[in-house]
Amino acid sequence: MSESNKFIFKKYDANASINRRTAIITIAKAGLFSILGARLAYLQIVDKDKYEILSDNNRITHRLIEPQRGIIYDLQGKPLAINRQRYEVVIIREETSDYIKSIENLKNILPDVNIDTEKLYSEIKKTKKFIPIKVLDDLSWDQFSRLNANIHKVDGLYPQIGFKRYYTSGQSHSHIIGYTAPLDKKEKDTNTLADLSSAKSGKLGIEKAKDVSLRGKLGNKNVEVNANGREIRELDRYESIQGKNIQLTIDSDLQDYCYKSLNDQSGCVAVTNIKTGEFYALVSSPSYDPNLFSKSISSEKWNSLTDNIYKPLINKSISSQYPPGSTIKPFVALAALENGVSEKREVYCNGKHEIKDTSLESGIKTFHCWKEEGHGNVNLNEALKVSCDVYFYQISREIGINKIAEVCKRFGFGQNVFDSFYEEKKGIVPSKDWKLESIGTPWMVGETLSAGIGQGYFLTTCAQLSLALGQLINGGEKIIPTIVMGKNKDVQKNQKISLNPKHLAIIKKGLEDATNTQGGTSFRSRIPGNLKMAGKTGTSQVRVISSQEREEGLKKNNELPWEKRDHGLFIGYGPINNPQYAVSVIIEHGGSGSGAAAPVASKIFKYLFDNNLNLKSKSISNV
Amino acid sequence: MFSESKAELTIFDKLRSINYFLLSLICTIFFIGTLALYSISNGNFSEWPIKHLQRFILGLIVFFIVALLDLKIIFRFAYLIFIASIAALIILLIVGDEINGAKRWISFAGFSLQPSEFVKYTLILALAKYFHSMEDYHENFISKLIIPSFIVIIPVAFVVIQPDLGTALVIFLGGVSVIWISGLNYKYFISGILGFMLSLPILWQYLKEYQKDRVFTFFNPERDPLGNGYHITQSKIALGSGGIFGKGYMEGTQSHLNFLPEMQTDFIFTMFGEEFGFIGSIILILLYMALIGIAIRMALTSKSLFSKFLSLGVCSVFFIYVFVNIGMVTGLLPVVGVPLPFISYGGSSMLAVMFGFGLLTNCYINYNTTLTKGSFI
Repeated sequence: MSESNKFIFKKYDANASINRRTAIITIAKAGLFSILGARLAYLQIVDKDKYEILSDNNRITHRLIEPQRGIIYDLQGKPLAINRQRYEVVIIREETSDYIKSIENLKNILPDVNIDTEKLYSEIKKTKKFIPIKVLDDLSWDQFSRLNANIHKVDGLYPQIGFKRYYTSGQSHSHIIGYTAPLDKKEKDTNTLADLSSAKSGKLGIEKAKDVSLRGKLGNKNVEVNANGREIRELDRYESIQGKNIQLTIDSDLQDYCYKSLNDQSGCVAVTNIKTGEFYALVSSPSYDPNLFSKSISSEKWNSLTDNIYKPLINKSISSQYPPGSTIKPFVALAALENGVSEKREVYCNGKHEIKDTSLESGIKTFHCWKEEGHGNVNLNEALKVSCDVYFYQISREIGINKIAEVCKRFGFGQNVFDSFYEEKKGIVPSKDWKLESIGTPWMVGETLSAGIGQGYFLTTCAQLSLALGQLINGGEKIIPTIVMGKNKDVQKNQKISLNPKHLAIIKKGLEDATNTQGGTSFRSRIPGNLKMAGKTGTSQVRVISSQEREEGLKKNNELPWEKRDHGLFIGYGPINNPQYAVSVIIEHGGSGSGAAAPVASKIFKYLFDNNLNLKSKSISNV
Repeated sequence: MFSESKAELTIFDKLRSINYFLLSLICTIFFIGTLALYSISNGNFSEWPIKHLQRFILGLIVFFIVALLDLKIIFRFAYLIFIASIAALIILLIVGDEINGAKRWISFAGFSLQPSEFVKYTLILALAKYFHSMEDYHENFISKLIIPSFIVIIPVAFVVIQPDLGTALVIFLGGVSVIWISGLNYKYFISGILGFMLSLPILWQYLKEYQKDRVFTFFNPERDPLGNGYHITQSKIALGSGGIFGKGYMEGTQSHLNFLPEMQTDFIFTMFGEEFGFIGSIILILLYMALIGIAIRMALTSKSLFSKFLSLGVCSVFFIYVFVNIGMVTGLLPVVGVPLPFISYGGSSMLAVMFGFGLLTNCYINYNTTLTKGSFI
C-alpha cells in the first residue's frame, strides 16, 4: 500500500505536465505577438510622421544606366556606327502637384517642339505615378540647355542624357550595317535591355545579326532624391558595360566606290577576297539615309521607301534572288569536263536547239541561242568566250541536271553565304529531287536546258556568285565567307573542294578569253596593262518570250518597260595571273551583262588593283 | 504490436475529420500572400503570383498525402525520415548550388529544394518519437537528454556551416520547444541558456563576416546606414510611412522603388505593412495567431505522447517562422533570412510548412490512436 502510494505520488503525469507547459508556451507566444503588435503600433502610429517625412525626403530610387552600344568599324579601323548623346525629358507624375501645368510651362520654354499632349496625358494617367514617362526625345543641345536653365518652372520633369546611334558612313553602308529601332513587342520578354524606356535593338544587317554582342549590359544605381525628386546623391552604382565593338572586313572607301559606280541604278555588288573569304564590299543600290530611323520616321517617308519600285530598303546583295543566267556557265562547263565531255568536243550552233515536246501542237520545243544567226562550230573555250547557249543546251542535256546541280552546290550555290543575317536568302539549285519535293511534278528535259544557261528555276544571290567564283578560282580552297574581322582566325584551313586543276585551267582560259580577246562577251570592259581581270557576263530573262513575239522580231531591251528588261550580271576575278579578288555585279533590268554589269565590275577591279586593301587593314585595337 | 481498440478509419472518415477551419485560415493567409506578390510584380500575375499559386497547390497535395497517411507508419519511420533529411543536408554540402555565398539549394530533376526547411519538421518527428518511447519517463531525465541533444545539434551544425543562420535558429528553437514540452526540469533549461550564453564567444568565431556585420548592425542600425543597416532602416521607413491605413494597394512608394533586395521573400511584410498600414498588419498577425491557436487546440486532443509532441512542435516551428520574420523586418531582431509562411515567395518553405500542417492534421485525425513504445525502425 505504501509502495503503491509512493508510486502514485511519484508517478509522473505526462499529460498534465504537457498541458501545463503548453499553456506557458502559448502565453509566451501570445506575449511575443503582442510585442510585435506594439512594435508595429510604435512604427506606424506613434512614429508615423517621422517616417512619412523620411519616406518623402529620403526617397531612394533605383535607376537604370543605359549601356553604350558597341562601335562598328571598317577594315581600316574607321568607325561606321557610333553613339552620340541624346537629350530627352521624362516626367514622374508623383513628383509634381500639377503635371498639366508643368507640361504647359515646358511648352512655353520650348515653343519650337511639338508635344502630343492628349496622348501624353492619357499615358500619364495610365502609368503608375512613380514611373518615368518620356515626354520629349532627341532635343538639340540648345533646347536641352534652355530647359535646364528653366528647370525650376517644370516640377516633375527631368532632363536626361542617353545615347543614340549615328552612322557616319552615308547611304552606301545602310544595308550591310542595318539600323536600330525601339524594341518590338515580342522582344520585350527576351531582350536584356527591355526595362529601359529608351531600349533599342538592331533591326537589319550587322546591327541585327550581332545585336546580342553589340547591346552591352545594363547598369544601375541607387540614388537618394529629395521631396522634389532631385538627385541628392548617389548611393551605389553598378556601371553599365558597353557592348562589344565589331570590326567589319568591309572597306568603307571601296564600299563607297562600288555604290557610286552603280550610279543609282538598282543593283548590287559583292567583292570577296578569294584567299580568306572576307567580303570587302557588299553593296545594294539605291539606298536610304541610315540615320532616318534614329528618330521616329513619318509614315509618309516610310511609304515612299516601301512603295519605291527600286526597293531601297532591301539588301539586294544577299536578300534578292536572281536567275544567274550565263554566269552559271563556268560551273556547267566544269560539270561537263568532270563527266567526260572533252574540251575539244565541238557543237554546231545554228542559233537554236530543238527537243521533242508532245504537249505542244508542233511536237517540238525550240530553245534559242542569244545570237539569232548562231555561232557555228564551238568548243568549250569558245563557248565560254562567246557565251554560246546552244553549246550549253547540248552538253547539259548529255550530262543531265543532277550533275550540274552537284557541281553548283559544291561551290556554294543554294546555301546561305553568311550564317548570321536573318534577311539572307539562299537561292535555288534545281534538280530532279528538288522539283519533285517542292513542286511535286517530275523533271522535264527542257528544264535541264534552261538550267544549263542559268534560267528556269535557278536562283542565286550576288554574294553567292562572288563566293562560288572565288572558291573555283582559288583552286577549290574552301573559304569561310565573312564580313566580321577576326572571325576566320580559328577556322581550320585546307578544306578542299574537289576540283581537278586541269579542268580549272581550261575554265580560267575560257574566262580570260571572254574578257581579254576580241569577240569575248566582256572584251569592251577589259582592263589594259599588267593587271587584268577575267570574267563571265550573264543576261537573265525575267519573262518568257513567246514564239509569236519572236516571229514579230525581238524588241530591244530599251524599248521595254524597266521591270521587263533583262537583268545584267557579271562575275569576275583578277588579277588573272595571281587572282586575289572575286567580284559579282548585278544590275536589275540593266538590259545585258556586257552592257550594264561588266563596265561596273571593270571600274571596281581597276580600283582594287590600284589600292591594296590588305595593306590598309588595321586592327581596331590599334586605333 | 499496436493496440487496436478502434476499427481502422476509412479515407472518408479521415477526410471528414480534417479541421477545415484551419485549412481555410491557411488559404486566407495564402491569398493575402498572392495579393502582396501581385503588388510587388507591379501587377504582373505571371512573374511571382502564378508560381506562388502553383507551389501552394503542390503544398496542398503534400498536405493531404501526409494527413491521410497511417499515423503508425509515420511513427515507425520517424527516425529514418530524420536520418534521410540529415543525409540530404550532407549531400547538399558536397553538391549543392551556391547562391549568394551560401549552399542552401539542392537541384533535383528540375526542382530546387532547400533540405534545411524540411529538417525543421523531421527533427521534431525524431524528438517526438524519442520522448514517446523513453522508458522511466521521470527518472534520470538528464541522462536521457544526450540523444535529443544530438538530434538537435547535428542538423543545426550542418545548417550553420551552409551558412544559414536564420534557418539554424528556427531549427534550434523548434527542437528546444519540444524538449521543453517533454517536461525537462526548469533548472536544466536555465543552465542550458547560461551555457549557451557562455559559448557565444566561441560560436562567434565561426560566423561569416556578413553574419557578424548583421549582428553588429542589429544593435546599431545607424552604424552603416547605406550598408547592412540600410535594409532595416528602409524597412522601418516603409512600414512607418504606411501609417494606420497604409498607402493603398499597389501604391507603396518605398517598396515599389526597389530599394530592398529580396522584397518578394524575406521583406514582403514590409511592403504589406506599407500598403495596408497598421490595420492590415495587425489583421495579418491576428490571422497567424488564430491559426496557431487552433493548431494548439488540435494538438492537445491527441492521446498519444508522440502525437502531442509532434503537433505542438509543428505549432512552435510555425510560430518561430512568423515571429522571427516580422521581428526582423520591424527591427526587433537581426536580419537573418527567415521567410514569412504562405506569404513569402519560396517553394521549399511552402512545401515544408504544408508538410508540417499535414503531420499536425494527421495526429488530429488519429487522436484516438495509441502507439506503443517504438523501436528504432
